[in-house]
Amino acid sequence: MPRMPKRVKFRKEFRRASRVSDRKATKGNYVAYGEFGLQALEPCWLTARQLEAGRIAAQHFLKRQGKVYIRVFPDKPVSKKPLEQRMGKGKADTDYWAARVKPGTMLFEIAGVPEEVARGTLVRIARKMPVRCRFVGRRLAV
Amino acid sequence: MQATHTLQAERREKKGSRYAKRERSAGKLPCVLYGQGKDPAHLSLDHKEAIRFFESGERVFNIELSEESKTQTVLLKDLQFDYLGTNVVHCDLIRVNLDDVVEANVHLHLVGDAKGLKTAGAVLVQKMNEIPVTCRVSDIPDEIRLDISGLGADEHMTAGEITLPEGLKLDCDPETVVVIIDVKAESEDEGTEGEAITAEGSEPEVIKAKKDDDDDEPKKKEK
Repeated sequence: MPRMPKRVKFRKEFRRASRVSDRKATKGNYVAYGEFGLQALEPCWLTARQLEAGRIAAQHFLKRQGKVYIRVFPDKPVSKKPLEQRMGKGKADTDYWAARVKPGTMLFEIAGVPEEVARGTLVRIARKMPVRCRFVGRRLAV
Repeated sequence: MQATHTLQAERREKKGSRYAKRERSAGKLPCVLYGQGKDPAHLSLDHKEAIRFFESGERVFNIELSEESKTQTVLLKDLQFDYLGTNVVHCDLIRVNLDDVVEANVHLHLVGDAKGLKTAGAVLVQKMNEIPVTCRVSDIPDEIRLDISGLGADEHMTAGEITLPEGLKLDCDPETVVVIIDVKAESEDEGTEGEAITAEGSEPEVIKAKKDDDDDEPKKKEK
Protein backbone atom coordinates (compact mmCIF):
# COMPACT_ATOMS: atom_id res chain seq x y z
CA MET A 1 0.00 0.00 0.00
CA PRO A 2 1.57 3.36 -0.97
CA ARG A 3 2.37 5.61 1.91
CA MET A 4 0.54 8.88 2.50
CA PRO A 5 -0.21 11.03 5.55
CA LYS A 6 -3.18 10.01 7.70
CA ARG A 7 -4.13 13.59 8.48
CA VAL A 8 -3.16 16.82 6.72
CA LYS A 9 -3.64 20.46 7.56
CA PHE A 10 -4.21 21.50 3.95
CA ARG A 11 -5.43 19.32 1.10
CA LYS A 12 -3.25 20.99 -1.60
CA GLU A 13 0.19 22.56 -1.60
CA PHE A 14 2.27 24.95 -3.75
CA ARG A 15 4.81 23.24 -5.99
CA ARG A 16 8.00 24.85 -4.65
CA ALA A 17 10.10 23.02 -7.21
CA SER A 18 12.77 25.52 -8.12
CA ARG A 19 13.76 26.39 -4.56
CA VAL A 20 14.50 22.80 -3.60
CA SER A 21 16.25 21.50 -6.68
CA ASP A 22 19.59 23.29 -6.22
CA ARG A 23 20.02 22.55 -2.53
CA LYS A 24 21.89 19.77 -0.80
CA ALA A 25 20.62 17.63 2.05
CA THR A 26 21.72 18.90 5.47
CA LYS A 27 19.73 16.37 7.48
CA GLY A 28 18.77 12.76 6.89
CA ASN A 29 22.00 12.40 4.90
CA TYR A 30 23.71 9.64 6.86
CA VAL A 31 23.04 6.03 7.88
CA ALA A 32 21.25 6.37 11.20
CA TYR A 33 19.34 3.15 11.90
CA GLY A 34 20.77 0.35 9.78
CA GLU A 35 24.25 -0.67 8.76
CA PHE A 36 24.10 0.21 5.05
CA GLY A 37 22.06 2.71 3.11
CA LEU A 38 20.99 3.92 -0.30
CA GLN A 39 21.73 7.59 -0.86
CA ALA A 40 20.21 9.78 -3.56
CA LEU A 41 22.72 11.80 -5.58
CA GLU A 42 20.22 13.96 -7.45
CA PRO A 43 17.13 15.92 -6.47
CA CYS A 44 13.66 14.57 -7.22
CA TRP A 45 10.11 14.19 -6.04
CA LEU A 46 10.01 10.53 -5.10
CA THR A 47 6.46 9.28 -5.51
CA ALA A 48 4.79 6.93 -3.07
CA ARG A 49 4.53 4.34 -5.88
CA GLN A 50 8.27 4.42 -6.55
CA LEU A 51 8.97 4.12 -2.84
CA GLU A 52 6.59 1.17 -2.59
CA ALA A 53 8.17 -0.48 -5.64
CA GLY A 54 11.55 -0.21 -3.92
CA ARG A 55 10.21 -1.72 -0.72
CA ILE A 56 8.64 -4.65 -2.56
CA ALA A 57 11.82 -5.26 -4.57
CA ALA A 58 13.76 -5.38 -1.30
CA GLN A 59 11.35 -7.83 0.28
CA HIS A 60 11.34 -10.16 -2.70
CA PHE A 61 15.14 -10.29 -2.64
CA LEU A 62 15.58 -10.49 1.13
CA LYS A 63 13.01 -13.26 1.74
CA ARG A 64 12.34 -12.36 5.37
CA GLN A 65 15.99 -11.68 6.23
CA GLY A 66 17.16 -8.39 7.70
CA LYS A 67 15.24 -5.22 8.33
CA VAL A 68 14.60 -2.43 5.82
CA TYR A 69 14.12 1.16 6.98
CA ILE A 70 12.49 3.73 4.70
CA ARG A 71 13.97 7.11 5.56
CA VAL A 72 11.72 9.38 3.49
CA PHE A 73 7.98 9.87 3.65
CA PRO A 74 5.76 11.10 0.80
CA ASP A 75 4.01 13.99 2.49
CA LYS A 76 3.77 16.37 -0.47
CA PRO A 77 0.47 16.30 -2.39
CA VAL A 78 0.96 16.78 -6.13
CA SER A 79 -2.13 17.73 -8.11
CA LYS A 80 -2.80 17.09 -11.79
CA LYS A 81 -5.59 18.20 -14.10
CA PRO A 82 -7.45 15.48 -16.03
CA LEU A 83 -6.57 14.95 -19.71
CA GLU A 84 -8.16 17.33 -22.24
CA GLN A 85 -9.24 19.65 -19.44
CA ARG A 86 -9.20 23.36 -20.23
CA MET A 87 -6.94 25.54 -18.11
CA GLY A 88 -8.37 27.44 -15.16
CA LYS A 89 -11.28 26.52 -12.90
CA GLY A 90 -9.03 26.19 -9.89
CA LYS A 91 -6.36 23.80 -8.71
CA ALA A 92 -6.91 20.15 -9.54
CA ASP A 93 -7.26 17.27 -7.07
CA THR A 94 -4.25 15.46 -5.64
CA ASP A 95 -2.90 12.94 -8.13
CA TYR A 96 -0.12 11.42 -6.06
CA TRP A 97 1.97 11.94 -2.96
CA ALA A 98 5.70 12.57 -3.15
CA ALA A 99 8.73 12.89 -0.89
CA ARG A 100 11.10 15.79 -1.51
CA VAL A 101 14.54 14.35 -2.11
CA LYS A 102 17.69 16.47 -2.17
CA PRO A 103 21.15 15.26 -3.20
CA GLY A 104 22.53 13.34 -0.24
CA THR A 105 19.19 12.22 1.22
CA MET A 106 19.26 8.68 2.59
CA LEU A 107 16.35 6.83 1.00
CA PHE A 108 16.58 3.31 2.41
CA GLU A 109 18.62 1.61 5.10
CA ILE A 110 19.13 -2.05 5.83
CA ALA A 111 20.22 -3.91 8.96
CA GLY A 112 20.84 -7.48 10.03
CA VAL A 113 22.32 -8.84 6.76
CA PRO A 114 25.88 -9.25 5.44
CA GLU A 115 27.30 -6.58 3.14
CA GLU A 116 26.88 -8.61 -0.07
CA VAL A 117 23.19 -9.19 0.63
CA ALA A 118 22.69 -5.54 1.60
CA ARG A 119 24.43 -4.42 -1.60
CA GLY A 120 22.31 -6.77 -3.72
CA THR A 121 19.12 -5.50 -2.09
CA LEU A 122 19.96 -1.83 -2.39
CA VAL A 123 21.02 -2.23 -6.03
CA ARG A 124 17.59 -3.68 -6.75
CA ILE A 125 15.91 -0.79 -4.94
CA ALA A 126 18.10 1.68 -6.85
CA ARG A 127 16.75 0.35 -10.15
CA LYS A 128 13.25 1.42 -9.04
CA MET A 129 14.38 4.93 -8.13
CA PRO A 130 14.06 7.86 -10.57
CA VAL A 131 17.50 9.24 -9.66
CA ARG A 132 21.12 8.08 -9.44
CA CYS A 133 21.82 6.50 -6.06
CA ARG A 134 24.82 5.02 -4.31
CA PHE A 135 25.49 2.38 -1.66
CA VAL A 136 26.95 3.72 1.60
CA GLY A 137 27.93 2.37 4.99
CA ARG A 138 28.01 4.02 8.38
CA ARG A 139 30.12 7.14 8.53
CA LEU A 140 32.96 7.85 10.94
CA ALA A 141 31.63 8.63 14.42
CA VAL A 142 33.26 10.51 17.28
CA MET B 1 43.94 5.47 25.21
CA GLN B 2 47.30 7.20 25.52
CA ALA B 3 48.31 9.88 23.03
CA THR B 4 50.69 7.90 20.87
CA HIS B 5 50.60 9.71 17.54
CA THR B 6 51.72 13.22 16.80
CA LEU B 7 49.90 15.29 14.22
CA GLN B 8 51.76 18.09 12.50
CA ALA B 9 49.64 21.24 12.39
CA GLU B 10 50.00 24.65 10.80
CA ARG B 11 48.33 27.80 12.02
CA ARG B 12 45.78 29.21 9.58
CA GLU B 13 46.33 32.92 8.99
CA LYS B 14 42.98 33.52 7.30
CA LYS B 15 39.77 31.93 8.42
CA GLY B 16 36.39 31.63 6.75
CA SER B 17 34.77 29.27 4.28
CA ARG B 18 36.62 30.59 1.22
CA TYR B 19 40.06 30.04 2.75
CA ALA B 20 39.01 26.72 4.30
CA LYS B 21 37.99 25.54 0.83
CA ARG B 22 41.44 26.44 -0.50
CA GLU B 23 43.06 24.51 2.37
CA ARG B 24 40.99 21.43 1.52
CA SER B 25 41.91 21.58 -2.14
CA ALA B 26 45.58 21.72 -1.06
CA GLY B 27 45.16 18.43 0.84
CA LYS B 28 44.73 19.98 4.28
CA LEU B 29 42.01 19.50 6.87
CA PRO B 30 40.89 22.72 8.59
CA CYS B 31 40.38 22.35 12.32
CA VAL B 32 39.86 24.43 15.43
CA LEU B 33 41.63 23.89 18.74
CA TYR B 34 40.08 25.19 21.97
CA GLY B 35 39.76 24.53 25.67
CA GLN B 36 41.55 25.10 29.00
CA GLY B 37 40.60 28.79 29.02
CA LYS B 38 42.99 29.65 26.20
CA ASP B 39 42.13 31.41 22.96
CA PRO B 40 40.89 29.17 20.19
CA ALA B 41 43.41 28.46 17.44
CA HIS B 42 42.59 27.83 13.80
CA LEU B 43 44.82 25.10 12.45
CA SER B 44 45.15 22.86 9.46
CA LEU B 45 46.22 19.21 9.51
CA ASP B 46 47.33 16.88 6.80
CA HIS B 47 44.03 15.41 5.56
CA LYS B 48 45.25 11.91 4.71
CA GLU B 49 47.19 11.45 7.92
CA ALA B 50 44.40 12.76 10.13
CA ILE B 51 41.70 10.62 8.50
CA ARG B 52 43.88 7.53 8.77
CA PHE B 53 44.12 8.02 12.54
CA PHE B 54 40.43 8.88 12.92
CA GLU B 55 39.40 5.75 11.02
CA SER B 56 41.60 3.57 13.19
CA GLY B 57 39.51 4.69 16.18
CA GLU B 58 42.06 7.00 17.80
CA ARG B 59 40.70 10.01 19.61
CA VAL B 60 43.66 11.37 21.60
CA PHE B 61 46.65 12.87 19.81
CA ASN B 62 49.66 15.09 20.35
CA ILE B 63 49.58 18.23 18.26
CA GLU B 64 52.83 19.83 17.19
CA LEU B 65 52.57 23.30 15.73
CA SER B 66 55.08 24.09 13.01
CA GLU B 67 56.24 27.36 14.61
CA GLU B 68 56.22 26.09 18.22
CA SER B 69 58.49 23.39 19.55
CA LYS B 70 56.25 22.07 22.35
CA THR B 71 53.43 19.59 21.80
CA GLN B 72 50.01 19.53 23.41
CA THR B 73 47.58 16.69 24.04
CA VAL B 74 44.24 17.04 22.29
CA LEU B 75 41.02 15.06 22.13
CA LEU B 76 38.95 14.78 18.96
CA LYS B 77 35.65 16.42 19.86
CA ASP B 78 33.66 16.68 16.66
CA LEU B 79 33.76 16.02 12.93
CA GLN B 80 31.93 17.84 10.16
CA PHE B 81 31.04 16.11 6.92
CA ASP B 82 30.08 17.27 3.45
CA TYR B 83 26.48 16.91 2.24
CA LEU B 84 27.07 13.31 1.12
CA GLY B 85 28.37 12.45 4.58
CA THR B 86 31.56 10.81 3.35
CA ASN B 87 34.32 13.42 3.35
CA VAL B 88 35.42 15.06 6.59
CA VAL B 89 35.57 18.81 5.96
CA HIS B 90 36.43 20.09 9.45
CA CYS B 91 37.24 18.81 12.90
CA ASP B 92 37.13 20.16 16.45
CA LEU B 93 39.98 19.41 18.83
CA ILE B 94 39.92 20.14 22.54
CA ARG B 95 42.99 20.69 24.73
CA VAL B 96 43.13 18.11 27.51
CA ASN B 97 45.45 16.65 30.10
CA LEU B 98 45.61 12.88 30.35
CA ASP B 99 44.14 13.04 33.88
CA ASP B 100 41.12 15.14 32.89
CA VAL B 101 37.70 13.54 33.19
CA VAL B 102 35.79 13.92 29.92
CA GLU B 103 32.64 12.69 28.24
CA ALA B 104 33.28 10.51 25.20
CA ASN B 105 31.46 8.14 22.88
CA VAL B 106 33.07 4.74 22.56
CA HIS B 107 32.41 2.41 19.65
CA LEU B 108 30.46 -0.73 20.57
CA HIS B 109 31.65 -3.94 18.91
CA LEU B 110 29.32 -6.97 19.05
CA VAL B 111 31.01 -10.32 19.57
CA GLY B 112 29.59 -13.84 19.21
CA ASP B 113 26.63 -15.40 17.41
CA ALA B 114 23.37 -14.83 19.25
CA LYS B 115 21.41 -18.03 19.78
CA GLY B 116 18.16 -16.20 19.01
CA LEU B 117 19.28 -15.61 15.41
CA LYS B 118 18.62 -19.29 14.63
CA THR B 119 14.88 -18.59 14.94
CA ALA B 120 13.12 -18.00 11.60
CA GLY B 121 12.61 -14.32 10.84
CA ALA B 122 14.98 -13.15 13.60
CA VAL B 123 17.01 -10.00 12.89
CA LEU B 124 19.76 -8.51 15.01
CA VAL B 125 19.11 -4.79 15.40
CA GLN B 126 21.84 -2.68 16.96
CA LYS B 127 20.14 0.41 18.33
CA MET B 128 23.33 2.07 19.62
CA ASN B 129 26.66 1.97 17.83
CA GLU B 130 28.47 4.20 20.29
CA ILE B 131 28.02 4.33 24.00
CA PRO B 132 28.48 7.58 25.95
CA VAL B 133 30.86 7.25 28.90
CA THR B 134 32.60 9.51 31.39
CA CYS B 135 36.22 8.69 32.12
CA ARG B 136 39.76 9.99 32.26
CA VAL B 137 41.32 10.81 28.90
CA SER B 138 43.99 8.16 29.41
CA ASP B 139 41.28 5.52 30.03
CA ILE B 140 39.24 6.04 26.83
CA PRO B 141 39.21 2.65 25.07
CA ASP B 142 39.26 2.22 21.28
CA GLU B 143 36.12 0.08 21.51
CA ILE B 144 33.97 -1.84 23.96
CA ARG B 145 33.28 -5.48 23.14
CA LEU B 146 29.81 -6.76 23.92
CA ASP B 147 29.19 -10.51 23.95
CA ILE B 148 25.73 -11.26 22.55
CA SER B 149 26.03 -15.06 22.33
CA GLY B 150 23.51 -15.56 25.16
CA LEU B 151 20.84 -13.35 23.56
CA GLY B 152 17.67 -15.25 22.63
CA ALA B 153 14.82 -14.41 20.24
CA ASP B 154 12.81 -11.31 21.20
CA GLU B 155 15.35 -10.51 23.91
CA HIS B 156 17.37 -7.34 24.29
CA MET B 157 20.41 -5.99 26.11
CA THR B 158 20.39 -2.65 27.85
CA ALA B 159 23.22 -0.18 28.39
CA GLY B 160 23.30 -1.15 32.08
CA GLU B 161 24.14 -4.75 31.17
CA ILE B 162 27.39 -3.81 29.39
CA THR B 163 30.49 -4.65 31.39
CA LEU B 164 32.57 -1.50 31.19
CA PRO B 165 36.35 -1.49 31.65
CA GLU B 166 37.69 -0.11 34.91
CA GLY B 167 37.51 3.67 35.24
CA LEU B 168 34.60 4.10 32.84
CA LYS B 169 31.20 5.33 33.98
CA LEU B 170 28.07 5.00 31.87
CA ASP B 171 26.74 8.38 30.79
CA CYS B 172 23.24 7.44 29.62
CA ASP B 173 20.08 5.83 30.97
CA PRO B 174 20.98 2.22 31.98
CA GLU B 175 17.60 1.08 30.65
CA THR B 176 18.42 2.23 27.09
CA VAL B 177 18.18 -0.72 24.68
CA VAL B 178 21.50 -1.32 22.94
CA VAL B 179 20.84 -4.44 20.92
CA ILE B 180 17.67 -6.41 20.27
CA ILE B 181 16.80 -9.60 18.43
CA ASP B 182 13.64 -8.74 16.59
CA VAL B 183 11.47 -11.58 15.31
CA LYS B 184 9.17 -10.65 12.44
CA ALA B 185 5.57 -11.85 12.54
CA GLU B 186 4.43 -14.06 9.62
CA SER B 187 2.17 -11.47 8.01
CA GLU B 188 4.29 -8.40 8.82
CA ASP B 189 5.65 -6.39 5.88
CA GLU B 190 4.21 -8.73 3.30
CA GLY B 191 2.92 -6.80 0.34
CA THR B 192 2.32 -7.19 -3.35
CA GLU B 193 1.99 -4.68 -6.11
CA GLY B 194 -1.68 -5.59 -6.53
CA GLU B 195 -2.48 -4.19 -3.12
CA ALA B 196 -0.77 -0.93 -3.99
CA ILE B 197 -3.11 -0.26 -6.90
CA THR B 198 -6.30 -1.01 -5.00
CA ALA B 199 -5.38 1.26 -2.11
CA GLU B 200 -5.05 4.37 -4.28
CA GLY B 201 -7.76 6.97 -4.37
CA SER B 202 -8.21 7.18 -0.60
CA GLU B 203 -7.58 10.63 0.80
CA PRO B 204 -6.18 11.71 4.17
CA GLU B 205 -8.34 13.44 6.72
CA VAL B 206 -8.07 17.24 6.74
CA ILE B 207 -7.49 18.81 10.15
CA LYS B 208 -10.06 21.54 10.59
CA ALA B 209 -9.03 24.85 12.10
CA LYS B 210 -10.01 24.80 15.77
CA LYS B 211 -9.33 28.51 16.29
CA ASP B 212 -12.35 29.55 14.21
CA ASP B 213 -14.70 27.44 16.32
CA ASP B 214 -13.29 28.89 19.54
CA ASP B 215 -13.63 32.44 18.24
CA ASP B 216 -17.27 31.91 17.30
CA GLU B 217 -18.39 30.69 20.70
CA PRO B 218 -17.63 33.85 22.77
CA LYS B 219 -19.37 36.01 20.16
CA LYS B 220 -22.57 34.04 20.54
CA LYS B 221 -22.44 34.44 24.31
CA GLU B 222 -22.06 38.21 23.99
CA LYS B 223 -25.15 38.40 21.85
